[in-house]
Parts: sequence; structure tokens; C-alpha cells
Amino acid sequence: MVVTEPAVAERVRSGEPVVLDVIGTVLRLGLAAVWLVSGWLKVRDPNQTFIAVQAYDVLPGGVVSVVAAAMPFLELALGVLLVLGLGTRLTAVLSGVVLLAFIAAVAQSWARGLSIDCGCFGGGGQVAAGDTRYPEEIARDIGFLVLAVWLVVRPRTRFSLDARLGRAAEPVG
Amino acid sequence: MGGAERSARKRRQGAQTGAGARPTGSGKGAVAAARKSGVDRKTAIGIVVVLVIAVAVVGGVIFTRSQKDDTSGQAIAVKNTGVEVPAVRDGAAVLVGKDAAKVTVDVYEDFLCPACGSFESAYGASVEEKLAAGEIKVRFHMLNMLNDRSDPAGYSTDSANAALLAADEGKFLAFHKSLFGSQPEEGARGWSKDQLIALGKSLGLTSQTFADGIRSGKYDKDVSDAFQKVRTTDYLQQEYNGQKSFGTPTLAIGTKIVDTSDPKWLDNAVAAGAGS
Repeated sequence: MVVTEPAVAERVRSGEPVVLDVIGTVLRLGLAAVWLVSGWLKVRDPNQTFIAVQAYDVLPGGVVSVVAAAMPFLELALGVLLVLGLGTRLTAVLSGVVLLAFIAAVAQSWARGLSIDCGCFGGGGQVAAGDTRYPEEIARDIGFLVLAVWLVVRPRTRFSLDARLGRAAEPVG
Repeated sequence: MGGAERSARKRRQGAQTGAGARPTGSGKGAVAAARKSGVDRKTAIGIVVVLVIAVAVVGGVIFTRSQKDDTSGQAIAVKNTGVEVPAVRDGAAVLVGKDAAKVTVDVYEDFLCPACGSFESAYGASVEEKLAAGEIKVRFHMLNMLNDRSDPAGYSTDSANAALLAADEGKFLAFHKSLFGSQPEEGARGWSKDQLIALGKSLGLTSQTFADGIRSGKYDKDVSDAFQKVRTTDYLQQEYNGQKSFGTPTLAIGTKIVDTSDPKWLDNAVAAGAGS
């Protein structure tokens, strides 16, 4: 009967690279920061957020109102869950879905020739025709999407509630 | 939870399935049991995640809604002008000023438009002076260009309609000034029909016609039609960031746009009238 040492030693022995855990942790906290900052900037100015959502010209009026009210809090919730490292894989999947929706929204604005700011980190609404930043905005969201995808593929990170709640029971190869 | 504790649990799980109790999980039963326990835990965590998000979203929507509804109990502050000049409604516009005035300035604005609010706070008082002095007339065109920009939509139209009804009963200038004095932000809740009616009451507009006209949107269609006409009127288009389009506020004398970025625009307009 062998009583194993703490988790790290266990995984080092089993060939699990701890360095990937560290990278994952940085990415998890990075994505958390993205959501917390973007959510906070939107929560602070609900009127501007309404204008930003409306500028995409996709949703009917009443839905714009609800989406604009809900989105900042959705972002904050994702951020908090990622900081805690609770349900990292599921949270990362949801983050990816939200980011894909953002990318689609920006892309359709670009394709339709609208002149708007994405309002990704506050602001938003109409801008001058020459002041659009669609490629940068999409590239940035794709960057965030990469973080989310990593965490979907490999959700194990350090300092996470998931680890504390005993991920060891989960089949990890 | 320490590794030892975790291992101990694994052992228990293994023991339950009767397939060996080694913590490394070499027995198939131990892996299966661990897997099952992991799935349960994952389900529980998943439920927590979904709950956290649901509570945040629902709570956030309720919070934002109530925050925006803060203005629902307020009254629009009354602002009187003290200017006694004729104000006659003409379709979806109101012509204000003494007959003797030689020059008429057309002002195109929207009660929700922030630039119109800035324009009114910068020049409203000077315009009143010139109106009182009989040096100019002003034809106010209240448009509903930003009708979707209030939350809920509709404030641009409601306010324009109300201002036209106020004109019918001789209180246009004060009504107009009060609305710009308490202008809602874009994306915010606009003043409701009841609040517009209450403003009218404070200004002495107590008739049933006024209240009914606001509730039924008596001039809504005129306002919309006027905006559609204005936005396609050639001489009212201006260069905005390299594109020609109509925006508010726009001022014109005859078919000539007035450049209000020139602080002397009003004096120039009066002088032009005096010279003709």
C-alpha cells in the first residue's frame, strides 16, 4: 500500500508536465482579467453599452435592451469563475462561445459596411468611416479565443478550485 | 485536499467495486469508479457554473433595469423663458418669433441628440434674446432621428409630438427649453408620456386635448414624415467624417447651412437679415 505524495510529485512521476499547468494557470488568469475588465467597463456605463449593442444593428429594440443589460454581468461571471478556477473547462467553452458571437457580430458589421466601434472594452457606437478597427478587433478576439481553447483542451491549472475539489478523480490519460 | 487524502478516497472507491485498492488505479474497477465519482463531481461543478452565470445575468438585467428606471418617479424640471413671442405650429415644425423679424433660421433637432443639447445650452439664451428683440424668427423642426436610441425606444418621437402639442396651446418655448434642460442620455430611459404630460401641467397645459394627444401620438406620423423628407433634402446634407449625411442639430437660413462652429453665427444671421 503506497500513500502517494502531493499531486505535483505524483504527476511528475507519471510524466505529466507541470509546466503546462503553469502555462494554463497564466492563460486562465489572463482570460479572467479580460472578462473582468471588459465586464466592469460595461457595467459602469449601461447607457453606453446599450448604444454599443444597438450599433451592431442586428437585434430588435427590446432584445438590445436585455442583451445590453445582461452581457456585462455575463462577462463578470465568466471572469469570476475563471479567477476561482471553478468548472474551468465549461467556463472556457462558454467563453469561447461568447467570443465567437462577438467575432461574428464584428464581422457582420464589417461586411455590411457599418462604421462602428466594437465597444469591446467600453465605448462603442457609431464612429467615422475611417475610424473603424475591424481587423484589430477580430484579431484581438481571436487571441482571447486561443486562451479559451487552450483551457477547453487542457483545463488543468494550479491554484484552482477544480484542483482543490479533486480533479485527480477525473480521467486525464 | 492533500494527495494522501485523495488517495485514501480512491482506495475506498476501489474497495467498493472490489477490484483492488491501489491508489495508482491500475485496476480497471478503480479507474471506472474514479471516473464515475469524477463525473458526479463534474456534474455538480457544472451546475454551480451554470447557476452562477444565470444568477449574474438575471440579477444584472434586473439591476440595470431598475437603475435605468430611477428616473420614472422624477419630474422634468420646468424652465420658463420669459419670452413672449408668437409660436405657431406649421406641420411638424413650429415657427417662433415676431412678424417684423427679417430673417428666419430653420433649426433641425432631436430632443435626444446630445449635440442638440449642447447647442441649446450654448446658444439657447442668445436665441431667446434675438427672438424677444424681434431680430430673428426661428422655425424649430423636431425630428425623431434617434428614436431607437432611448431605452425603451420612442422618446424622440414622443417628445417631438409633445412639443408640437405644446405649441398648439401656446407653451412651445418653455416646453422645448425644459426638455433640453433635462435631456436624457442616449441609451438611457427617456421621459415617459406621463412625465411629458406632467411637464405640460406644470406649464399650465391642463387640457384633455394635450394629454390625449401625447397618449395617442397625435403628430407622430407628421414627425416621422418630416424627418424622412429632411434627411433626403440635398441642401441639408453636411460633410461628416468625409461622408455627406444629415445630422442634428442642423441650422439653415433659406437653403444655406449655418455654420454654428462660428461663435458669431447668430450675429451674422441677424446682420444678414438687417442688410436685406
